Amino acid sequence: MKELFPAKQVMGFVFSLILTAVALAVYFLDMSFAIGLTVLVVTAFIQALLQLVVFMHAGETKDKWSIYGNVYFMIFIALITIFGTLFLFNWDM
Amino acid sequence: MKLDHSQPLEYSTGQNNLNIFGFWIFLGAEIMLFATLFTTYFTLEHRTGNGPTGAEIFEITPVLIETILLLTSSFVIGLGIHAMRLGKIKAMISFFSITLLLGLGFLGFEIFEFVHYVHIGAGLQTSAFTASLLTTLGTHGAHVTFGLFWGLAIILQVKKRGLTPETANKSFIFSLYWHFLDVVWIFIFSFIYLKGMM
Repeated sequence: MKELFPAKQVMGFVFSLILTAVALAVYFLDMSFAIGLTVLVVTAFIQALLQLVVFMHAGETKDKWSIYGNVYFMIFIALITIFGTLFLFNWDM
Repeated sequence: MKLDHSQPLEYSTGQNNLNIFGFWIFLGAEIMLFATLFTTYFTLEHRTGNGPTGAEIFEITPVLIETILLLTSSFVIGLGIHAMRLGKIKAMISFFSITLLLGLGFLGFEIFEFVHYVHIGAGLQTSAFTASLLTTLGTHGAHVTFGLFWGLAIILQVKKRGLTPETANKSFIFSLYWHFLDVVWIFIFSFIYLKGMM
């Protein structure tokens, strides 16, 4: 039974619950918008990275850099799209 | 077919390696799909017209339940893949079944949430905010729905054919898809719900 619950994945799950609890602080505690958003950015991206490495086994095989390269490139393009649009439409720059 | 026994079953052939890598490329395109939805949402989230704002319609309890359900399902399918690598087919099928049940629970809460939104006058056509909100949430929910059918098909196939390089490969790829849906939900939870309620 014990071998079905590897420590690495159990720890990953506990850690992701902790990150969720930390993110919840922005709702339950009174903090400024800027601080709250910073907390959310940090917790969300750590959590995403955790899923990628612990649960999706991204770094296990020989083609790991093709996998990471592809994912990071798409995240980069995604951020360019999101912030590029916000610059133009919402922040009037 | 050349089997590489130094690798887990799902990676054991060249075809399997390419299938998995191909699926990562697909997930890259999925990142971009959700990025365009987030872009639209962030651009339009304050254009509420005569409709309600996010702070008025978001509720923490159902959102938190949905988050825990999906996080747990992502963990459980990870255990399923671990069991698969140990060759424990019964445990693997149990974990996959629990995953799908948690996914079903998530979907139930989300449908309930959508009905509630429409009921309080925040439908798809109410404002730019509700339109982009419901499209983003709906696209994620449609992915989960598709995943439930896909996962069920995987379970049936593993039951019927046992663990072969092909079925292990398909199961692993399905687990990637499921984890990816959890990653997308983390961003929805953080930057749509929590940010909206802050």
